[in-house]
Amino acid sequence: MAAGRTLRHPQPQPLIRRMRRILSPRELTVLGVVCVLVLGVMPALNAFLPVTHPLHISTFTLSLCGKYLCYAVLALSVDLLWGYTGLLSLGQCLFFSLGGYALGMHLMLMIGPRGQYKSSIPDFMVFLEFPKRFPATGGLPPHWIPFKHFWFAAAAVLWVPAVVALIFGFLAFRSRIKGVYFSILTQALTYAACLMFFRNDFTFGGNNGLTDFKDVLGWEINSPGTRRGLFMASALLLLVVYLLCRWLTATRFGKIQRAIRDSENRVLFSGYATANFKLFVFVFAAVIASLGGALFVPQVGIINPSEMAPDKSLEAVMWVAVGGRGTLIGPILGAVGVNWLKSVATHKAPEYWLYFLGGLFVVVTLFFPNGIVGIPEQVRQLRRRLTGRSQPDADKPVVDAAAAPKPETES
Amino acid sequence: MAARFFRLICRTFALLGLGGGLLTVGVSIGRAADPRATLVEALTNADLTAQIKIVQQLSIVADPIVSQVLGAWRQGSVYLYDGPDQSKVPFLLDSASDAAGKARAVAIATGKPLLDAAGKPLFLATAGLTAADTTSKLRKAIKTTLDVLALANPNPNLRRDAAAKLGFDQNPEFLLAFRARLAEEKEPGVRKALEEAIAITLLADGKPEVQLDAVRKLGAMKSIPALDLLEKLLTELSADPQRRGSALGIATLASVTQIHDHIVWGDFIGTCFRGLSLSAVLLVAALGLAITFGLMGIINMAHGEMIMVGAYTAYVSQSIFNRCFGAATGGADWYFVAALPGSFLTAGLLGLLLERGIIRFLYRRPLESLLATWGVSLILQQVFRATFGAANVDVSSPSWLRGNLTVADVGFTYGRIFVLGFAVAIVFLTWLILTKTSLGLQVRAVMQNRAMASCIGVRTDRVNMATFAFGSGLAGMAGACLSQLGNVGPSLGQSHIVDCFMVVVLGGVGNLAGTVGAALGIGVTDEILQPYLGAVLGKITVLSAIILFLQWRPAGLFVTRSRSL
Repeated sequence: MAAGRTLRHPQPQPLIRRMRRILSPRELTVLGVVCVLVLGVMPALNAFLPVTHPLHISTFTLSLCGKYLCYAVLALSVDLLWGYTGLLSLGQCLFFSLGGYALGMHLMLMIGPRGQYKSSIPDFMVFLEFPKRFPATGGLPPHWIPFKHFWFAAAAVLWVPAVVALIFGFLAFRSRIKGVYFSILTQALTYAACLMFFRNDFTFGGNNGLTDFKDVLGWEINSPGTRRGLFMASALLLLVVYLLCRWLTATRFGKIQRAIRDSENRVLFSGYATANFKLFVFVFAAVIASLGGALFVPQVGIINPSEMAPDKSLEAVMWVAVGGRGTLIGPILGAVGVNWLKSVATHKAPEYWLYFLGGLFVVVTLFFPNGIVGIPEQVRQLRRRLTGRSQPDADKPVVDAAAAPKPETES
Repeated sequence: MAARFFRLICRTFALLGLGGGLLTVGVSIGRAADPRATLVEALTNADLTAQIKIVQQLSIVADPIVSQVLGAWRQGSVYLYDGPDQSKVPFLLDSASDAAGKARAVAIATGKPLLDAAGKPLFLATAGLTAADTTSKLRKAIKTTLDVLALANPNPNLRRDAAAKLGFDQNPEFLLAFRARLAEEKEPGVRKALEEAIAITLLADGKPEVQLDAVRKLGAMKSIPALDLLEKLLTELSADPQRRGSALGIATLASVTQIHDHIVWGDFIGTCFRGLSLSAVLLVAALGLAITFGLMGIINMAHGEMIMVGAYTAYVSQSIFNRCFGAATGGADWYFVAALPGSFLTAGLLGLLLERGIIRFLYRRPLESLLATWGVSLILQQVFRATFGAANVDVSSPSWLRGNLTVADVGFTYGRIFVLGFAVAIVFLTWLILTKTSLGLQVRAVMQNRAMASCIGVRTDRVNMATFAFGSGLAGMAGACLSQLGNVGPSLGQSHIVDCFMVVVLGGVGNLAGTVGAALGIGVTDEILQPYLGAVLGKITVLSAIILFLQWRPAGLFVTRSRSL
């Protein structure tokens, strides 16, 4: 209800007061502590402690954590669609990669003559004989030229996925494609894009993608300082996105979003243009994913078409399912947790990782429909069932009870 | 006279039965006419020119021993043995070998094993032997003789190939052989090849009227192989101002145009056929999905893995048949007949387990059934990768599915024809089951209104189980079928899953006609676009076209009307 009032009083309020309406004091404290830990303590442990110190965090680990945080941003965007609006997008990695490619193009051009071929254009362009295809620009395809400016690349991170999402979303929602159809079509979209980016003459590096970056905004990309900066930027991005989502889902808009998820027809018949709401959320989520991708690329050092393969998007959906969809903290926990497990498992026993991942998919959907975040509630229900057998709901299976749409516990 | 006599001998030989062990047929005929004696003469003659001459003469002896020995000679596997009276005895090594791995020596002159002093068959190792010499000239002569001999080969395909090959030599010396063969030949395909070869040879003839005849004939025959030669002739003629307007020039132009038209038509029909067969593949692969997804509303992401399971079943049954019957025998060829029902059962059983174990808990949560089945698909892929290895396994088509049927220069591979027929059969079968059996009736009832069907006593739980198993079984059969067309590997399913979904989404939920229509549409469009856009861009265009098409008909091609929203 608090959110509703916010909308009815359009006078500008200080951000902190608005935040207070959304976050309870306890949440604010927890958030503050986590922020200090991630934004202050972790980089400090990396920067000021000697390598031999047991509490030292290596630059590699820090980058790895930065990667997880970018994935968490992606997971938030999936959750905003799936958990809050009921749109299961299986193509969210497309937007993630589009953001990555947009920034990657800028980083690629910043390599300059330091590449293998000592040419002013990126290596793969020399290799693929682009100077013959684009003689007027010395081998650089025309649409690459503005990416020399960082601001253009940064803007492209925002508008390219937005435009793609807008067009696809408009077409999809206009013809009222929903449910599994929407999922399949988004999967087809990312599959088509993946095939497209694999082509060498699509001018984005084909199979190998964009890699071998040297520096970002003038800082050397592999130096510990830059790595720290990128990690902190990712953490900051995640914080901002989290708060933004928190705010959005607490507004009346958020209520309509959830109403669409639970019963779209009722919302439609109540006079809301659900297509427009869905379109907005879809575009918004695409931009969020893209921002995550843009920060992902300099930390990982490569972006290639396999990043937008359909199975990557499914994995992202899995993080959300594991963490708990329909909550905002769940996807973050899921993304970081599953990816940490993946790093450990692929290192220790690569051949069992797929069994584990597949098993996780099955077990989580069957037994923990609300993910990690939902487990305490499930335990509580189970206990209630065990103690009070006389309740009418007692003989319903756990899965069904948990699966039924529940009122939001957050707002 | 001699030639006629030789031909008589050949016929006698043919009558005596070519199948009986080639070397052991020790028929002795008059010494001068005995091909074995002539061969020995050719091999042992010291004079090279004489050798070449004898080899050339051998080209009209259609005894299989001639091609066998000449072929061996060319490869250096005819050996000479110093006989007791200082003469050279040429011999071959046969497949029988003793314990030490030495092969039995068989004299060419008699076709009987060479005997040592004790009267036992002689076994020799390859290493210590002197091979009969050849020079490059001699080898060339042998090659030509072998080619001409191939014109009389009992296998019509080899006869045809030989005729086509010799024709391109444009060597007038072969004309006699062609015409002699043509007089006897009964097989229409070989007759055509021979006529073509004669015409092509005559094309190089100096006399314009002979050339004119040949050109007209080639045009009338719509001979695609001759096109290059005709075009060459055309450029020659148009470069020469005197001959440009001649009857020959005009006839050449006409023939070239005729052949070009023929090629265009052939390409068109070929494209249509490929499009149809691609549609059949899509249809076969997507039919199972259309049933599980269309009729039950369940997204089975492991559908692709059901296809993979079917393909691996084909592989396993091939291995079993090979072990039981031996790889080379006819029995192993019939593994595919067992593989089809086998894959249906295997995949159906797996589907049953999947439905009972996982999916039945998720009927009210379709999006989550998608995730769970995706998990299952990951596990299945990894299981097969661990069991059969990450590389593709080799499933060889049975001999009756290999090769192709050529009608008017358009090749139709038997494998694809089979898939086409299989698709028709399987759709018909599914239609029968859905419309004529009580299971089908119940399936349709559950599909239209689950709650109502349940109320009037349909055991929806069981119907779901049966439908899912049936759909998975169909996917398995599709896999067995696809194993005949492409690679079988752990990622086989992944490569088909997006296409399958597209077919189902485009076709609309819950009816077969839509699935058939969508598969046809996607397959043919894809095949038509491919030559212009390439495989990848064609695919992307089709995907975008589907998204746009759904603007026009959001529920797919054919819609089952219902009151639900």
